[in-house]
Amino acid sequence: MSPGAVLIVMALLFLGFGYMGVPVSFALMAGVFAATAFTPISLQSMVGQLFHGIDSETLLAVPFFLLVGELMASSDVVQRMIRLSQTLVGHLRGGLAQVVTLFSMFFAGISGSSVADVAILARTVAPEMTKEGYDKAFSASLIASASTMANLIPPSIMAVVYGATGNVSIGGLFLAGVVPGVLIGIGLMIYSYFFGPVGVMKKRAKFTEVAVAARGAALPLVIPVIIMGGILTGWFTPTEAGMVACAYILLVLIPVLRPSHIRELPRDFMYAGLLYSLPLAAVAGASAFGWMVAYLRGPDIVADYISHYAGTDPRMIMFLLVVLFVIVGDFIDAVPAIIIFMPIITKLTEVGGINPLHMGAVIITTLVFGLITPPYGLSLLVASKYVGIGFGRAVVRSLPMYAVFFATIAFVVVFPNVVLALPKWLLPESVGCFKSPTGVGYICPK
Amino acid sequence: MADARALILQRHRHLKWPALDKLEAVLMVMCGVCISMFTLTVGCDVVTRTIGTPWLWLQQVTTAFFAWGVFFGMAAATRRNDHFYLSEITKRLTGAPRSAIEIVNRLIVLVVAVLLTWFGWQNALLDMGSYRMPSLIPLAVYTGIMPAAGVLIALFTIEQLVNGWRNGFEGPEDRDEIPEPTE
Repeated sequence: MSPGAVLIVMALLFLGFGYMGVPVSFALMAGVFAATAFTPISLQSMVGQLFHGIDSETLLAVPFFLLVGELMASSDVVQRMIRLSQTLVGHLRGGLAQVVTLFSMFFAGISGSSVADVAILARTVAPEMTKEGYDKAFSASLIASASTMANLIPPSIMAVVYGATGNVSIGGLFLAGVVPGVLIGIGLMIYSYFFGPVGVMKKRAKFTEVAVAARGAALPLVIPVIIMGGILTGWFTPTEAGMVACAYILLVLIPVLRPSHIRELPRDFMYAGLLYSLPLAAVAGASAFGWMVAYLRGPDIVADYISHYAGTDPRMIMFLLVVLFVIVGDFIDAVPAIIIFMPIITKLTEVGGINPLHMGAVIITTLVFGLITPPYGLSLLVASKYVGIGFGRAVVRSLPMYAVFFATIAFVVVFPNVVLALPKWLLPESVGCFKSPTGVGYICPK
Repeated sequence: MADARALILQRHRHLKWPALDKLEAVLMVMCGVCISMFTLTVGCDVVTRTIGTPWLWLQQVTTAFFAWGVFFGMAAATRRNDHFYLSEITKRLTGAPRSAIEIVNRLIVLVVAVLLTWFGWQNALLDMGSYRMPSLIPLAVYTGIMPAAGVLIALFTIEQLVNGWRNGFEGPEDRDEIPEPTE
């Protein structure tokens, strides 16, 4: 069987098994093991490859950022951040919708998990939205769309996985995610203001109320400072920054703000332990899958195909990759998608002479869109389930919000200098700059 | 400390043997132990490095707990049906078509689990003679968790196959898990 045919068989088996209801990690492994039978590779080495896929210190950041989300969600410390959001934007048209978006921006700076964000908002703000007359489909679609920012605004689990598998600076990816994350947030706020339900109009909060709310939320809002401050000053790696954030929550936040939650901590750890194994089991399967894709020269086949249409034009290459990943993101979870397609992304980054950090920002922004698109829009599925609305109706209500994502993706593709400004300023090495021989400043690639 | 019964998921009870409940609880505790231990070791790593006497072996202990946690969690998630799924199509089916697809799905998982066990065991035997520097931890300490997880996954899959065959795969909670019919 030709390598191309083996690739197709492997992909079809994965998708076939996956859509039949086999768990994603096992569907990936089954596809790879079946494909191995048509190659000279031994099954023993492929099983070894599963382990090598997760044997990475960089991936350790994933459980820490999930643990931060789990601890924050279960201890209800985030209520204070919701209150702050209410005092800041609650008086605007569609007040609670604005609160959802602003809170998601704050929470994105603390947790790397969209699902944790959805769980918090669906439990706290969604019932209030229903009382104020927002229809449930709008609430679910807005909560899901806003939760995607958790994977863009640092810390982001997708950035950790992308950086670990693509050998790209994770700190740089964190910073490159800020612009698209904020753009999605602003876009959703504008959409809610002009096209969303009016809600109940409230009076603007007094300065003293804002100050009290800000003081209440100050302790949780230190977490983004710890994470990004530690990484940017070089004190911590992203993994260590995640651990320090957990330690801060355990030693400061919960004892001070919610001491009654301390006896629930063993349960939080057990569930976080289970929770992190789920994406990483998929990472193990996907890394073997990606290895097999590379072995069968999949990157060359796809790169040749894309180059045939795009030549070496970086924008055209990125446009075609965006189309590819919008489709891929509809069917596959983002983490395995990043790992499976990383050899192809790396090859096309070289062909187009694209900055790897810019490519990372484009791919991650495109994949977060997949969190709200059918049939496998994880955030929208979870939001519709929590809010109590049919998935189909939530999809229809989220269609206009897709415009925000398309505009953001286009912006990220077309304006690399804006997207890379923050990493270039704060982590110049991450964008390929090196120290000037004179010792003053950096020399950066154009 | 959480009650042991609270650690056992009551969803899909008809697919579970009570005899394996304790094993699920133990796996949940192990998930908690692993994440706690590698949080602690990463913390110690930062502290020892900051005070100028880094313990280099800490990173290798960390990755061991990390890997064990992934495979313990993978096994626990198999019993709890907590894995990521691309679709929940089977939950919309009833009767014979449902049973047929559920059985095929579990047979696929069973084959993967058997391969993980057999070839994972072969890899672990090979790794007995290799060590990680500077801690001199045998590589088998890391890779040995794969066949162990394979056995557990196979056990839980057989449990679901047998109980599903006897009691049917449909459960009262399936309706709640499908997003569509909630309105």
